[in-house]
Amino acid sequence: MWKKPYGYAEGFAVCAGLFLTGLLLQFINGKTGSAFLTFPYNLISGGIIAAVPLAVFLFFRKSAFYAWLSSVKSAIPAIISLLVLVVIMGLTRQAPSSETLDSGVLERIFGFSQMTSSWAFSLLMVFFMIILLLVILKRITAFRWRDTGFMLNHSGLFIALFSAIFGSGDLQRLSMTVQKGQMQWQAQTEKGETVELPLAIELKQFTIYEYPPKLMILDNLTGKALPENNPENLLVERSPMTGELAGWNIRVSKYLQYAGQMVTGDTVRYFEYHSEGAVDAVYASAENRKTGAKAEGWVSCGNFMFPFAALQLNDKASLIMPPVEPRRYSSDVTVYQKDDKTVEGVVEVNRPLAAGGWKIYQSSYDQTMGRWSEISIFQLVRDPWLPYVYAGIFMMLAGALWLFIFAPKKLEE
Amino acid sequence: MTWDWFKFFAVAAALFWFLGAWFALREKGVKKAVILTVTGLLVFFSFIVGMWISLERPPLRTMGETRLWYSFFLPLAGLITYVRWRYRWILSFSSILALVFICINIFKPEIHNKTLMPALQSPWFAPHVIVYMFSYAMMGAAAVFALYLLARPDKINRGVMSLCDNLIYVGLAFLTVGMLFGALWAKEAWGHYWSWDPKETWAAATWLGYLVFVHFRDNFPNSRYKTALVIILVSFVLLQVCWYGVNYLPSAKGISVHAYS
Repeated sequence: MWKKPYGYAEGFAVCAGLFLTGLLLQFINGKTGSAFLTFPYNLISGGIIAAVPLAVFLFFRKSAFYAWLSSVKSAIPAIISLLVLVVIMGLTRQAPSSETLDSGVLERIFGFSQMTSSWAFSLLMVFFMIILLLVILKRITAFRWRDTGFMLNHSGLFIALFSAIFGSGDLQRLSMTVQKGQMQWQAQTEKGETVELPLAIELKQFTIYEYPPKLMILDNLTGKALPENNPENLLVERSPMTGELAGWNIRVSKYLQYAGQMVTGDTVRYFEYHSEGAVDAVYASAENRKTGAKAEGWVSCGNFMFPFAALQLNDKASLIMPPVEPRRYSSDVTVYQKDDKTVEGVVEVNRPLAAGGWKIYQSSYDQTMGRWSEISIFQLVRDPWLPYVYAGIFMMLAGALWLFIFAPKKLEE
Repeated sequence: MTWDWFKFFAVAAALFWFLGAWFALREKGVKKAVILTVTGLLVFFSFIVGMWISLERPPLRTMGETRLWYSFFLPLAGLITYVRWRYRWILSFSSILALVFICINIFKPEIHNKTLMPALQSPWFAPHVIVYMFSYAMMGAAAVFALYLLARPDKINRGVMSLCDNLIYVGLAFLTVGMLFGALWAKEAWGHYWSWDPKETWAAATWLGYLVFVHFRDNFPNSRYKTALVIILVSFVLLQVCWYGVNYLPSAKGISVHAYS
């Protein structure tokens, strides 16, 4: 080892060294702070990643070190090391980066349950990016047109990674809960701190559309859906309708989307009810396909107002309705900005609303209230580095297209 | 269209594919092979379209549904490889693989329910999963081929290695596009393009694995074939974890936002 020209052994040795250094730093300092990723420190730390390859490229281009650091002989060990850490990450349950980890010696030494904030991961990532930039510099100064795909892939990855990592300190993700009819300008950070925003959101209306209810058969003892390992369900799309579930013929004769419950003696009935708290209910009859045993009655998923109702088929199984699933939910909002500009719009899952440099996402609602929720929960995101990440992503997409079209041609068989 | 119809469409499509594969094995059967394979693909795709219409959503959510696309893309990938590089046996090979997944869907179907949660209701949904399934088909073909070559080392030569290269290059191109489409979609749906969700973590691992292969082959185009083949297999294991393994990993239980099926 360490005989010129350097090769894979040196590559793996450097990676192992960085890994061990990372463990040492982790042991002394705990996980990497995120402070050096916020402006202006991100420019400084990012500058180092850019400066090292640039310096090597400009001043040591004749050295064996340069030849090695800009070749696959350092790149493959770097990729494999990152791969190993990513696999460990995939096998270790990850804790949110906002949490502090001090429980357990192993935790403190390795920091694997917050892999992306661990020193080992960070150092190997820095090594990876230094190689990546050096390789780009090497090729760009001797550019040939057939290198287009190479350049798009490598520089796209570098730009996307660089912006994503050094932009992460400037990324703000907040959660905001707004009551219907009210205006809110305070939001919570991931750590639970309250911050005031330069914009306010007024929730005019919150709407949920739900899927029709489903019916399932559960084992009375285990509570598991039947047939075991391959549970079936029946979507009540219309009524009357018939279907088949786990060996039972099911007939739904009545489906009430908005129902209220009435209990007289030991009988439970449902009726049309269109006020707050109304719940889905179906009247179903079941016949066992083998034994011919029969049962009929109301089944409902229940909600915050009415209890849930199951139909016992026999001593082994019951017909139940799991909670209805939302088809879509959306908030009608007005966003007020400091400069007196207002933006009106609808925020829906997969359809965020942009206002004043922020993106507003529909994140959740009061799930205990279900369709009657008067609360909407938004996620607000500000990511000033996003355009650069996207530039990198689109370069990589173009590079992938290039790779597909100009994949190496067939050699003689 | 319901799953009850699947066996008829699948058997008909498979018959066309195997007939096409048979013609492909013969010297002058190129045209017939292509026409028959395309016909099989059309038959199979008409079932997918039928399911799409009757489910009122693209059939891409459950494992059974993704296997449906997998069995469609394997012969398609085979056909593209055949037309582009004329490997005569590739259609037999892709047809057999497709048949395996058809059989799984016939004999061990999984819940095929109609509901689609709001996060999945996006124009990105179909391209993201379809591109990934196409890539998986390529990588699957490469992995089976690599396994065969490791069992029969006497068959390893430059020609077959270049076939592996071609499959992986095309597969990696699609893998990259699938991952980046996922990032663009995640930004719209969850507010960030990359969150190290367990599925994302394993997707990154898979991607890095194939990057190792590509760089390794770049350095050793004419030697160390067995190591290259082993890298294909290791990467394919990572791909399996990413595809469905995460559903069973204790480290991912209950926290993956990718848990749908």
